[in-house]
Amino acid sequence: MKRFIDLVRVAVAGLTARKVRTLLILLGPILGVGAIVAAIGINESSKGYLKAQLQDLGTDLIVANAQDSLGGFGQTPRIPEDATERVSRLPDVTSVTGTYQISNVVTLPFDAAEDYYKAFPVPIIATGLNLPETMEVPMVSGRFINKFDYEQSARVAVIGRDLADEYGYLRGEQRTISLNGIDYGVVGVLDWVLLEPSMDSAVFIAFSTAEKDWEIGNQDPTRLYVRAPTNTQLVAEEIPTVVSLGGPDGARTSVPTDLLNAESQVDESLNTLTQLMGGLALIVGGVGIANVMSISVIQRSSEIGIRRALGHTRTTIAMQFLFEALVVGVLGGIFGALAGAGVVWFTSWSRDYVMILSLSSLVGWSLVSVAVAVASGLYPSMKAARLEPLETLRLG
Amino acid sequence: MVESLLSLESVSRIYGTDVEVHALHQVSLEIFSSDFMSIVGPSGSGKSTMLGLLGLLDVPTKGNVKVNGVDATSMNDFQRSRLRGDAIGFVFQQFHLIPHLSALGNVETALLYRGLSPKERKKKAAESLGKLGLGGREDHRPVQLSGGEQQRVAIARAIVTDPLVVLADEPTGALDSENAENIMKVFADLKSPERAVCLVTHDMEIADSTDRKITMKDGEIVQDLIQGSEK
Ligand SMILES: Nc1ncnc2c1ncn2[C@@H]1O[C@H](COP(=O)(O)OP(=O)(O)OP(=O)(O)O)[C@@H](O)[C@H]1O
Ligand SMILES: [Mg+2]
Repeated sequence: MKRFIDLVRVAVAGLTARKVRTLLILLGPILGVGAIVAAIGINESSKGYLKAQLQDLGTDLIVANAQDSLGGFGQTPRIPEDATERVSRLPDVTSVTGTYQISNVVTLPFDAAEDYYKAFPVPIIATGLNLPETMEVPMVSGRFINKFDYEQSARVAVIGRDLADEYGYLRGEQRTISLNGIDYGVVGVLDWVLLEPSMDSAVFIAFSTAEKDWEIGNQDPTRLYVRAPTNTQLVAEEIPTVVSLGGPDGARTSVPTDLLNAESQVDESLNTLTQLMGGLALIVGGVGIANVMSISVIQRSSEIGIRRALGHTRTTIAMQFLFEALVVGVLGGIFGALAGAGVVWFTSWSRDYVMILSLSSLVGWSLVSVAVAVASGLYPSMKAARLEPLETLRLG
Repeated sequence: MVESLLSLESVSRIYGTDVEVHALHQVSLEIFSSDFMSIVGPSGSGKSTMLGLLGLLDVPTKGNVKVNGVDATSMNDFQRSRLRGDAIGFVFQQFHLIPHLSALGNVETALLYRGLSPKERKKKAAESLGKLGLGGREDHRPVQLSGGEQQRVAIARAIVTDPLVVLADEPTGALDSENAENIMKVFADLKSPERAVCLVTHDMEIADSTDRKITMKDGEIVQDLIQGSEK
């Protein structure tokens, strides 16, 4: 152990004596390790953001839009009640909510704002009562539309969180909004719906109320939101069949998180490529180390000679130079990993990524740097050990 | 009979393979523990070659080198290096200080890999430098020292391990006469019953001041003279 520490001391002294040269040979491993760590880190961090978002959203929500399987024109296709029933009875389905978006209704927080809200109409959505459960979104304040509201066709509304902000709606406030001049009482505010951002500035009312006030014909929805925590893909494929059952009604399904999911997969071929390039940089750095150290051995032949005269063995001399390479590899690995991590941190910070750095790639590539450096130091070390002390001392 | 400390037994050293240079030819020599001796001879007569063999820095082509009666020629590099580090102290004409190390660091180098703690090493090295009048110069690099001072650091390094023999190859060769004289005083002070001192020199005055003078010519010892000086 003492011998090991002695060797490290001697190697460090040898390296610090030639600072510029040491810095130059350090550049190889630093750049190599730094580049690889940065490339992998940025690649994964850019996906990490999406992955984190997916975690939040859950990947088990299916959207089914009504579609007229016979290609009928004119009328908006709807999903009849019995079809909704069948979907909700599917084994993997935990929750189904139908919605119907009403058009040509101008919603006003107060009368003076009429011009603005005519230009930018707020969506009015007739919805089933379990929308918060299906979307897995809590209420910010108040309550959602309930069974009583439905039975009474009550003129109550729930508004999205962005709309509440826009209207300056205060928590728990007694407030009405005007839908084409009909006043509705606001009973609650729904939190942000990440998978359906249009809901954030929407007004929700009960189907019964919509049927009474807005002439939607019946209470069939145009869209179903289906939560299926298991076999999500399978359920998505089944729904069109379950809805139509050979009849004229149809549906087209999609899983909104599918796209995100695909995007969030780390590009393996890109990773392999960057690792290859980084490995190459490390090898080039290794060749640099071998080169510089070989020259160093010649320049330091007198030092080697006198060390031999002082009783250092050939093995000790070889170890001394090998340790110089080792220290270069270790420092190069550490600083390279730090530099790479710094780049990943900065990139994540400036692009709002969630920083992901796998410890295994940090440690792994630092070790590769050490291995390359030691391998590069092998030849110069042998050369140093083989020098004949008397000859090097004669040369002065 | 007095046991010899170092001995050469009909040692030959031939350099080169294609063109052979017979640097030493069947040389026998015994060095005793209180010897204070010099080796003289014309250039190329084999003085340095013999010193290298005596100091176990080289192995003979033929013959044996013995330290305290133990044959060193059959040893492996590790054993020979260890023995060299323990028993021999070298001083060279060109000082051969390691340029990036301080005076202290240079002396310490002789104590490395011997299981000593850095603290013990530093203490011993500083003592040795002190003996040579270099107290206070421990942190100076070789370039900050004069030639005479550098050679004294080299001598401090040679004796810090308390060797049986100090071998010096023209230790005053690179110094002016005043510094040379000072260094010779240092060597005279190294004289001790427990230690042999052996100098290669071109300076007849120096050679005459030693107790024993060996003269070489063409790879052979032609004279081995005990000089009955004042003592
Ligand atoms: N490595 C070597 N390869 C070939 N020949 C060598 C080698 N080292 C020394 N010689 C030769 O061996 C002979 C003895 O050399 P050595 O250095 O021992 O002489 P020296 O007495 O020390 O000379 P000087 O007084 O000039 O230092 C010389 O002829 C020299 O050229
Ligand atoms: Mg010589």
